[in-house]
Formats: sequence, structure tokens, C-alpha cells
Amino acid sequence: MQNISKTYGSGDSAVTAIKEASFEIYAGETVALLGPSGSGKTTLITMIGCITEPSGGKLHLNEKLIYDTKWQIKDTRRLRRENIGFIFQSHNLIPFLNVRENVTIVPQMNGVAIKDANKKAKELLDYLGVGEKLENMPSQLSGGQSQRVAIARSLSNNPKIILADEPTAALDGQRALSVMQLLKKLSAEQGVAIVVVTHDERMLPLFDRILRVEDGFVKEDKEIKEFS
Amino acid sequence: MINLAQRDIAHSLGKFITTALGVGMLIGVVLIMLGVYRGLVHDAMIVPNDIAPNLWVVQKDTLGPFAENSRMHEDFKYSLKGFSGVKEVNPLTFQSIQIPQGVKPVRVFALGYDTRTSFQPYHLIKGRPIATPFNEIIVDSKTNFKLDDSISLGRNIYRVVGLTHKAVSFGGDPMIYLDLKEAQELQFLFSNAQIRNDRERQSASSATAMVNSFTLKLYPGINPAEVAKEIKRWKHLECFNAKEQEDILTKNVIERSAKQIGMFTVILLIVASVIISLIIYTMTIGKIKEIAILKLIGASNFTITKMIAQQSLLLGAIAFIGGNIFAQLTADKFPKTIILLTDDALKLMVVVIIVSILSSLSGIRTALRIDPASAIGG
Ligand SMILES: Nc1ncnc2c1ncn2[C@@H]1O[C@H](COP(=O)(O)OP(=O)(O)O)[C@@H](O)[C@H]1O
Ligand SMILES: [Mg+2]
Repeated sequence: MQNISKTYGSGDSAVTAIKEASFEIYAGETVALLGPSGSGKTTLITMIGCITEPSGGKLHLNEKLIYDTKWQIKDTRRLRRENIGFIFQSHNLIPFLNVRENVTIVPQMNGVAIKDANKKAKELLDYLGVGEKLENMPSQLSGGQSQRVAIARSLSNNPKIILADEPTAALDGQRALSVMQLLKKLSAEQGVAIVVVTHDERMLPLFDRILRVEDGFVKEDKEIKEFS
Repeated sequence: MINLAQRDIAHSLGKFITTALGVGMLIGVVLIMLGVYRGLVHDAMIVPNDIAPNLWVVQKDTLGPFAENSRMHEDFKYSLKGFSGVKEVNPLTFQSIQIPQGVKPVRVFALGYDTRTSFQPYHLIKGRPIATPFNEIIVDSKTNFKLDDSISLGRNIYRVVGLTHKAVSFGGDPMIYLDLKEAQELQFLFSNAQIRNDRERQSASSATAMVNSFTLKLYPGINPAEVAKEIKRWKHLECFNAKEQEDILTKNVIERSAKQIGMFTVILLIVASVIISLIIYTMTIGKIKEIAILKLIGASNFTITKMIAQQSLLLGAIAFIGGNIFAQLTADKFPKTIILLTDDALKLMVVVIIVSILSSLSGIRTALRIDPASAIGG
């Protein structure tokens, strides 16, 4: 990201949520986005995820220019479903699809054969410890199980990067930690970059890098060793 | 690809089916309205079709005998018979009367014809034609009279000797058939009391020699238009062929009712469209969060549009099928004839499909405006 900004609204009511942010995220690393509420973390992560259009700056993904004063690609949704995994606070899952369908929908939209998508979903869910919930509806899952299924979905399209906005906010300490450890393990094993918004300081030792977001400014936290 | 429309409906099946059936009843009412119209046209033509003449002769400058009153002297029958090509002349009377039955009198439409001829303007399902004038009557089974029942009319007691089935007038009243002379007395004298008075005074009213219409049967190969021209020129009477009489009945007699029904049908269709639109819109609003998630994880606008359009069409389809079942089940329970034509149903199906597609547009528009970032929410 180079000098990425985001201003909501215009004129007097304009709110600049992100001011000239520049940073890089490398394959296989885990990055925490840390900052008080309203500081612009969600805005930032939705720009990284090509959901929210920035107001200025440049955005690259895999060396490809994605945004430069305007989108450089036609179909941001296609970009998302082919390259990015998403996890957010809660209610990640489509309530009218069962667990298997929730996990296979993204690859299916990418044209992966149902059989292959199902096989991969089964593997992911087994790996994440919710393999036996394959045919359950989301309403039949606990919060922790839902987040595991959401993680499985975020992995289902073999993404380069997974973006997670406070994925553990709805979980208690122990479960939150185990979900976070799982993400860490995934990034190490699958070489996928993981960006997690969190304000839980106890999680910080799990991350390779910390980006502090404060009042729209993004800066690298150099004192990470302090926590580990 | 997973069918999202189907999964969503399956998730709240009861609600969806109930809604669809509710709309279905509305569509059923539309079908019944169309059936009422078809029934109206059908009923109006029963009597003319049973009589099936080549020509109708009525009073000059009238559209008789159904659309307008027509009165002519019965003696015209002799001169009409004299026209070349005319094989048979049948003087007829038509009138609405009430006949006593149980506590409530039934309104019937009476056809008087000369029972001494072989002319039979009806199709019997039971019994026999009238053999003895003045004592016998044929009624439609819809009057609830049975063979051998007695009916008191004017100064006579009639015995039911024959029954027809579903013979009704253009107004939907069951038909009765009796001899011309008796029918003339009933129509052209003021009341039963007067008939009794006349009888006591032993005077025969000249009014009884009037009829409402003559129907002509022509010899094979004779052009009705030619005969009509001659009759109009020489007798100053009005003539209609079978087709013209049908047009008078469908255009003049039932036109107002048809327009009334047409208005109702149009309003019902508009109401149904508005309701379907609202349902689809509400269904979409209820899925804002899900649609935002779908967009966020990369679902295309096509995927989302398809989901909403399919649901809309399915709603229309279930409603249409439900409507047809509803109409078929209730059609018999209506007092007047209702004719449900497959053709009408198919046309309505096209309308329902169009309405469903149009209805889904508001939902689709709403869905496409949803911001995927709102899924992250918070
Ligand atoms: N869609 C939006 N429209 C207008 N302002 C917004 C919108 N989303 C966020 N903001 C504003 O941008 C700022 C940053 O919000 P956000 O990125 O959600 O912060 P965080 O996730 O760190 O709590 C806040 O002041 C918020 O009010
Ligand atoms: Mg936030």
C-alpha cells in the first residue's frame, strides 16, 4: 500500500478515516492491526480487501497494481473470491446454507467442481476440528465452531491473504486464544499472509508484526519483542 | 453451483409456501372472474343455441327478443310462412317469472312455444316433451323440481313432465318451457287475478295473441340474408341471423357485466402485482446481511440477481398452481355458471410470469445497492 487514504463523505461532514498509509504485507506473515475503536482499522482492512474503494494512493496485490486513484481491475469481487479470505467478528456464515455449503460456495463461484470443493471442505473442517458438523446449519453451531467454519471458508479458495476483523471478539479468552493460534499455525503451514484486527493485547505475541492505527495514521510498532 | 434461491426458501419453507398460497388465492379469484365472464357468455347462448334457428324475426327497430322487448302479432306467422325458402315458423314468448317453491319463490325464465308442433327448443335429460298443452311443463333441474311435481302458475296447475340440465337464461335464471297460449296469458295479462277475472267474465283478451319473436328454419341451401332482406322490406320487421343474435347477446346484454368483471380482474391483477412486489422486496430486505456477506466473499451481481429472480418466479409459480387448484375447487360452489378455460389460465400464467419478473426488479435494485462492507459491520 502506498499513501492510501480514505475519506468518507464530503464537505463539512467529511471524515478522513485513513491518512496516507503506506506498508507492505508479505506472504506467510501474521500482522496485527491494533488501535482504539474508531481509529480506522475496519476501513483499512476493507481497503486491503478491495471492498472499500480508497480515496487516494496506490494498492498492489501480488505485484499487480489494483488501485491507482481508481480501480485498475474491472471485477473486484472476482479478485476477492479468487485471492482473499475473509473472517469477521461474528455472523460470518450464510444462515440458509449448511456448513459444507458455506465452505464450498467460494470455490464453487470460482468454477471448482463440486466434488473437489466438497473434498477440500471436508479436509479443512477436519483439520479445524469441526469435521463432524458438515451437514449442520450455522444456527446449530457454537460461537467457536462458527469461527472455525469461517476460517475454513476463508481458506477454501487457497487465498494469498486472509483478512480478519476482530475474529475473536465474540469468544471468551480461552477459545479466542485457540482460534488465534490456529490462524498462526495456518499462516506458517500454508504460507498465507494473515492480517488480524484485534485489540486484545494478550494476542500480540502471536504476531510477526504489529501495525498501530491511531486516528487514521498507520505506523509500524517496533517494540514487538517487548511482548514476546 | 449451489442454488441459493432454493436453499433460502428451504430454510424458511413454511413461511414461503404460506405467502405463495396467499397470493395464489388472489390469482384464483382472478381465474374465477375470468370463469364468470366465460360462464356469462356461455349461459347467454344456451337458449339461442337450443332453439338454433336460421333467422330471428322481431319487432321493427328493436334488438329483441333478449336485449330489448319485442312484441308482434302472432298472426305474422302465416305471412312469414309464405316467404320462399321458409320451411318452419315458430312463434315464441320469453319472460321472467317467479314460481312458488317452498318458502322462497324461484325466479325462472319462461319460454312459450307451440307444443302442437314437433319443435323442441330444449334438450331433455329426463322425461318427455309436452304432449298435452295447458297441463304440462318442462323445467330445468336447477329449479329443484322433480318429474311429476306440481307447479301452480296463473290459473293452472302444471305437472313436470320433462327435465333439462343447466338450461339457463342470459341472466342465469333456470329455464322453464310451456305452451305458447299459457305463456301468452301469463305475459300479456296483468296478473293472475286478472286472468281469473277474465275467465269468470268468459272474455278472451286479444292481448293473448302477441308473441315476442318468431324463429325461422329455412330449407337447405337457402341464404338467410336473402330471406331477411325480403321480410324487412315487405313486413317491416327486424331480422337477425344466428351470428347477429349472438353478437347482440354478447355485446349488448352482457357487455356491462363483462366490463364490470374486466375492471375487477384488472384491479385484482394490480393488487396481486403490488403484493408480489412487496413480498419480494421484504424478502430481500430480510436478507440484507446475507447478501452483504455474499458480495463480500465475491458473489457476482448475477448470482444475487438470479437468487432473487428465481425466488420471485417460484413464488409466482406456486401461487399460480395454488390459484388454479383453488379456482377448480370452488368453481362449482358458485350459483352461476363458471367456466375455467385452459386458454385463460395459460394467458394468466404469462401475466403472472411477467408480474413476477417485474416484481423482482425492486428487490434486485435494493440488493445491488447493499454495501458489502456492511457485512463486516461494527
Ligand atoms: N461507511 C462509513 N461512512 C462514514 N463514515 C464511516 C464509515 N465507516 C467508518 N466511518 C468512520 O471512519 C472512522 C473509522 O471507522 P472504522 O474503520 O470502522 O474504525 P475501527 O474499525 O477502528 O473501529 C470512524 O470515525 C467512523 O465513524
Ligand atoms: Mg472495526
